[in-house]
Amino acid sequence: MAITVKVVDRPIEETSYVRATLSGLANTLKHLLDPHRVTTEYPDEREAISRRWRGTHRMLTTEDGKAKCVACGLCPTVCPANCIKLVPGEDEQGNRYPLVFEIDEFRCIFCGYCQEVCPEEAIHLGRHYENSEFNREAFVYDLERLMAQTHPVTELWDPADPKGE
Amino acid sequence: MADTPKVNLTIEGRPISVPPGTNLIEAAKQAGVLIPHYCYHPGLPVAGVCRMCLVEVEKAPKLAPACATAVAEGQVVHVHSEKARDARKGVLEMLLINHPLDCPICDQSGECELQDYTYQEGRADSRYREPKRFNPVEDFGGDVLYVPNRCILCTRCVRFMGDVAHDEVLNVSERGDRAFIGKFEGKDLTHAWAANVVDLCPVGALLSKDFLNKARAWELDRTASVCTGCSQGCNIIVETRDNVVMRFRPRSNESVNQFFMCDEGRLGYREFNRPTRLEVPSILGPKGHEAVDWDVALEAAARLLRGKRAYVVASPDTSNETLHLLGRLMRKSNGVGLYRVPQGPEAPLPGAPDLALRVDRAANGRGAEALGFTRSDTPFSGLKAGDALILVDQDVTGADLAAVGQASAVIVLASWMPAGLPRAEVVLPIATTVEEEGTLTNLRGRVQRFMQAKAAPGLARPSWFVASDLLGATGESAAYFTAGDVFAAMSAAHEAFAGLSYDTLGMRGLPIAGAMAGATA
Repeated sequence: MAITVKVVDRPIEETSYVRATLSGLANTLKHLLDPHRVTTEYPDEREAISRRWRGTHRMLTTEDGKAKCVACGLCPTVCPANCIKLVPGEDEQGNRYPLVFEIDEFRCIFCGYCQEVCPEEAIHLGRHYENSEFNREAFVYDLERLMAQTHPVTELWDPADPKGE
Repeated sequence: MADTPKVNLTIEGRPISVPPGTNLIEAAKQAGVLIPHYCYHPGLPVAGVCRMCLVEVEKAPKLAPACATAVAEGQVVHVHSEKARDARKGVLEMLLINHPLDCPICDQSGECELQDYTYQEGRADSRYREPKRFNPVEDFGGDVLYVPNRCILCTRCVRFMGDVAHDEVLNVSERGDRAFIGKFEGKDLTHAWAANVVDLCPVGALLSKDFLNKARAWELDRTASVCTGCSQGCNIIVETRDNVVMRFRPRSNESVNQFFMCDEGRLGYREFNRPTRLEVPSILGPKGHEAVDWDVALEAAARLLRGKRAYVVASPDTSNETLHLLGRLMRKSNGVGLYRVPQGPEAPLPGAPDLALRVDRAANGRGAEALGFTRSDTPFSGLKAGDALILVDQDVTGADLAAVGQASAVIVLASWMPAGLPRAEVVLPIATTVEEEGTLTNLRGRVQRFMQAKAAPGLARPSWFVASDLLGATGESAAYFTAGDVFAAMSAAHEAFAGLSYDTLGMRGLPIAGAMAGATA
């Protein structure tokens, strides 16, 4: 069956592109002159992130530079992604401490349960999002790395309104 | 004992009848109600010091300690009435005054009765604002560490050492709020059963040095088993984590070990974690031992056994099931079966009837005897030229192996290659006691089941399975699919085991026919 094309005869003011082009150019000119901008010039500029932002972990330390962690085993227990590896040990003073403490940040789902369950307020999630690495292994953070992190930590709840009322 | 008079009472609205003289905690247990308690333990004399078991008894003027109150006809007991709960809440608050609340670093965390009851019915916070008392950690000798700050002075440990172990080592030193558990001058917890105080301690005050900081209670998988340390056959719980045995703890069985197990048995878990396990079957080829498939290895073993007299030397830790199948293999060729029992000094627990770490340091000597094996201190001396020697999980250190050279072949079923064995034509890897299911017969003839607690490494198979395959390869009919099938065949074939089955044995075991049940040595 032959294909028939219906040709509609429209007036010139409806088919001309001149008006549309001029209107587009005017819009461009308007935005060129308008001081309001939407783009954030990352990395020169950064947006502020929420106080409850949940990013990669950080281990807080005591005044003498040791990890606050006492290797109680609650975070590996509560972790729904099973990404925390913990081996407890005992130091010379008889204090319990983690021999091995590793978090696989690839497995982590950033739920914040580890921070919430920690009785020593040792492990925290961080308000931080720049985590690129060149290999996958580097995403398993060991204790040394977790302690070396300096970014601010997450507030899982507002201290002024702990019950969220 | 149907004609024994019973006392009828009501606990938490549940009617129950128990023998006179029963205390309220035990009666409530039978009614399915747990009365919180610390100082009371069914294996120890009643002390009534912790005041945790206070319950309301109708028509009694005051709350009664359930551990020290005997049942009475028509008694109506309220465990969870407001008055009783309030009293226990007060007791808990007092117990927690000097408790450091260091649950995150405490080994008892997760299996701590103070934790449990505080969570159940304690106060959410403490009203005590003063500094807490502090005492340093003390080494009690043996395997026991004492953390006085966590102690609630229930005196279970003191009563165990005094009344059950009959070795007065512990006491309550000082009085009032300064009281702590002390050792008598010059004494140490070196008694062979002393580590039971760690299990008895309801809180984290007495800890095992061996288990310290190794695992959290909630990470462990628990399996009912039987200790293979000696012929007593104490019921135990095997606690594993990630396929590694972490510790053994006693499982109560009134007829065998009550609530206890000895320190040697407790540390016996290490045996099962030894490295260098046999993982694949192998046969001796022209270039030494070669790993082969099970079929090939079993075929080779059957070929070596053909027409030869089977000379079986089995470890007396081997299960009844395996020994029964090996016995069939041995009788088929008019062979002999022998076992050697390692010896050690006896260490009784005087306060418990018929309970001791026995001289015979093997779990199933009685079973081997009942299944037609002969005890011998020199199991290899009877080996004649041309015999096919089958070694089953047998440690050969210290044995006279001169005769082994005369054997036509040596077939080894083992979890670890026996050190010092001069030759082995076929090696078949088998699972250990904690990796398979089976039964053991203790020295009083009680047949007790043990369960599989962890997976066997590599291609290792349960010993009964290998024994039945070996029997099958020699042309016998031996198609068993579970250890229970083998047990059924054994009870049909042996008079001593007649009438027994896994179902009737249950978790507490039953004596074999002819065993003097409850007889004392």
